[in-house]
Amino acid sequence: MKTISTLLFCISLALLAACSKEDDLGEIEDIPGLGGDTWTPGPLDHWLYDTLTVPYNIAVKYKWDQFEFELNKVLVPPKEEKVIPVMSAIKKVWINNYIEEAGLTFFKKYSPKFFILSGSASWNENGTITLGTAEGGRKVVLYLLNDFRTKDMPGYEPDDSLNVKQMFHVIEHEFGHILHQTIMYPQEFKQISTGYYTGNWNNISDAAARQDGFVTAYAMSAYDEDFVEMISMMLVEGKAGFEKIVNSIPPGTSINGMSQADARARLRRKETMVVEYFKTVWKIDFYSLQAKTRKTIDQLLY
Amino acid sequence: MRKYLLYLILTISAFTACKKEDDPVFDQSPDARITAALNKYQQELVNAPYGWKGLIFPKGVPRSVFGFYFQFNDNNRVSMLADFDAGTASTLKESSYRLKALQQPCLLFDTYSYVHLLSDPDAGVNDGAYGAGLSADFEFSLDSISGDTIRLTGRFNKCEAYLVKATRQEQADYLGQQRNRDFEHITDFLTYWKRLTAGGKQYDIIINKSGHIIRFIWLDESGARQEFETGFYYTPKGVAFAPAFTDGGQTIAGIENTSWDESNQLIRGTANGENVTIAGFSQPLAPEKEGPRRWWEQGRSLSYWVAPFGFHSNGVDDAFGLETLPGYYFMGLWPQYDGSPYDLLGFVTVEGNEAALRYGPAFREPTFSADGRVGFTYYGYLGTFPPDQTPITRTRLQLTDAAGYYLVQIGPLAWDMVSARDGKTWITWFK
Repeated sequence: MKTISTLLFCISLALLAACSKEDDLGEIEDIPGLGGDTWTPGPLDHWLYDTLTVPYNIAVKYKWDQFEFELNKVLVPPKEEKVIPVMSAIKKVWINNYIEEAGLTFFKKYSPKFFILSGSASWNENGTITLGTAEGGRKVVLYLLNDFRTKDMPGYEPDDSLNVKQMFHVIEHEFGHILHQTIMYPQEFKQISTGYYTGNWNNISDAAARQDGFVTAYAMSAYDEDFVEMISMMLVEGKAGFEKIVNSIPPGTSINGMSQADARARLRRKETMVVEYFKTVWKIDFYSLQAKTRKTIDQLLY
Repeated sequence: MRKYLLYLILTISAFTACKKEDDPVFDQSPDARITAALNKYQQELVNAPYGWKGLIFPKGVPRSVFGFYFQFNDNNRVSMLADFDAGTASTLKESSYRLKALQQPCLLFDTYSYVHLLSDPDAGVNDGAYGAGLSADFEFSLDSISGDTIRLTGRFNKCEAYLVKATRQEQADYLGQQRNRDFEHITDFLTYWKRLTAGGKQYDIIINKSGHIIRFIWLDESGARQEFETGFYYTPKGVAFAPAFTDGGQTIAGIENTSWDESNQLIRGTANGENVTIAGFSQPLAPEKEGPRRWWEQGRSLSYWVAPFGFHSNGVDDAFGLETLPGYYFMGLWPQYDGSPYDLLGFVTVEGNEAALRYGPAFREPTFSADGRVGFTYYGYLGTFPPDQTPITRTRLQLTDAAGYYLVQIGPLAWDMVSARDGKTWITWFK
C-alpha cells in the first residue's frame, strides 16, 4: 500500500509539473498611456518646466484630464494663452515673496507640488461657483483661468480683480493649511471664537460673519479654516485692507449678540496669534510678508 | 483495490492532461491592438491632405449642430475654424489635441478651443445653461472610420460628432476666408413669417439662430400640416442642413450662394442647383390650429407665462417701452388668475429688495377660433398703476387687437405669439 501511495504521489507530481506552461505577457513595454500622458512639448511646456519644475519641483497640468477633477462637474480646459500670465502672477505674489521672507529651502520643502488648471469655474448645485480646491497639501486645483485678467491685459475691468484676488486667496489659504498641519498653531486660537463655529456658514454673509468676529463666512466653518482664512485674507488684502475689514463692523450687536467692540477684539486677537505663529514657528516676519504680497498684488491689479 | 487505484490514476491523468496552447480570439494582445488603433487614427487625422470638416451635435439642444474645420498635425496641435460666430469662422485658432486609450481609442481636445465654446459651463458664452453649457463634448471616442468619415461619440454627454475629409476646394474656401453668413439676416425680416420657396413648393421656416435649428412647416398634397426640424450650420457658401431636409418628395441639403436683400426683405440662394427665395409673409402657411389652446392650458398649469421684453413690433424690441416703468422686473400673463374667471396681464416690479405683482389689466377668457387664432377682450384692471401708464395702455391695446394671434411653440416651455394682423408684431412667452 505504501508503494502505491508513493507511486501515486509521484505520478500526480509528474502530471502537474507537466502543466508548467509559459504564459506570454505580450508586449508589456508598449502599453499605451503607461507612465502618464505624453505629447510633443511646446513652448508653453518648456516655460513651465524651466520656471516652476526645475527650481521648485512644481508641476502644472494645464492639458485636460477629467480624472483630476470632480467627475460630475462640467468644466473646460484653460486657454493656452492664460497659463503663463496666471502662473507668473502666482510666482510673483506667492512664490517669490515667501522665498524672500523664509528662504528657498522652506519653500521647496512645504509648497504644494501639483497645480491643476481649469478654464471655467466649477458650478455648484446651489448656483454658487468654486474657484479653487486643494487636496492633501500636494495638489491645488485652480478654476476660471479663462477669465483671468490683470491690468496690463486687454479688456481688463475692475471686476476682474475679484477673480485674480480669489485665485491668490485659494493658494495662500491652502499653503496656510500645509503650514499648520506641519506644526500646529497654539491651542488658544481655538478658544477665541468657541461656540460660534457653524456648519451653516454658507448661508451667512461675510459682513454678518465679521460681526461675529470672523474674517469671512468660511472662517466660521472650523478652527483650521478660521486660522488659514485669517492668513489668506490678511496677505491678499494687505494691512490696510484688513484694517478696513475690522473697521467695517458696524455698531450694535450681531444676531448672535456679539458687540462691535467684542467682534473687533476677537479679530485683533486672531491677527496677533497669526503673526506670533509665523514668527515663533517659521521665523517669518508676517507683516513684512504681508506688505510684499499686497504690493505685488497692487502692481498686478491697480 | 489496486484496480480502483489504477482507474483513479487514469481518470486523474485524463483530467490533468492539459492543453498547452493559448488560443486567443485575437492574434495580438489588447495593448498591441489599441496601440495599432491609435496609430491608425493618428495617421488618418494627420495625413488628410486638405484637413477635416467636422460636425458636433450638442446633447443639450436637440437637433442642433455646429460646423468646424480642422487641421491636425503630428505635434499634438490642431488648427480650427468654427461657425459659432463671425469671429470663430474667420480666425484660425491653434490649440492642442491628443489621442489616448480610455477604454476605447479617444480624441481629446485638451486645451481650450472653439470646440469648448459649446461645452463651456458659463452660459454667457453659448446661451446654454449655467453649469452645463450646451451639454456638448470635447473628449470623443473614435468609433469607426469608413471611407472619408470618422464617427465619434462624446465621452461625457454622449453627443454625436463626425469628421469628414475636406476636398481641396473646401480647404481653399475655408482658409481663403470665404464666408457667407448672410443667412443670419433671417432675424432682420420685419415679419415673423418667413417662407422658403424651393422646387415649386413653399415652406414656412422657424429659426432658432443661436441654437442652429431650423423648422420647416408646410401643407402636403392632402392639405395636412407637416413639420420637420433639423440642425443647420454655416458653410463657406451658405448654410447646410444636418440631416438634410426632406418633405418626402423633395430633399434640400442646404442653401448656397445666400444673399440678403434688405430693401426687398428677401434672402436669395440656390438649392439643388436651382434658385430659391426666402420672403417675409404676414400670415402663416399652416398655423397649428390647436396651438393657442395648448399655450393657454399650459400657462394655466404653470400658473403664468413670462414676457420680460414685451412686444416686438416693426423691428423694434420692447416696442412699448416696458423697461421705462418704475422698478420694472417683468410682465407675465396669469390665465385664470388665482382661480378667477379672468386672465391677468400682471406687472411685477422690484421695490426695496422684494419683487411683487402690483398691477395690471385683466381680460376675459380668451376666444379660440377654428383657424388657430386667439383673441383677448379687456375686462378691467387690478392694483394701482404708476403715473405714466403709456407702456401698459399700449400693451393692452395691442393685446386686444381684434385680428388676434397665432401661437408657435419654440421650446418645451416657450411660445411665440404672433399678431394675425400683419405678422410684424409678436411676443415671446416662456417660463
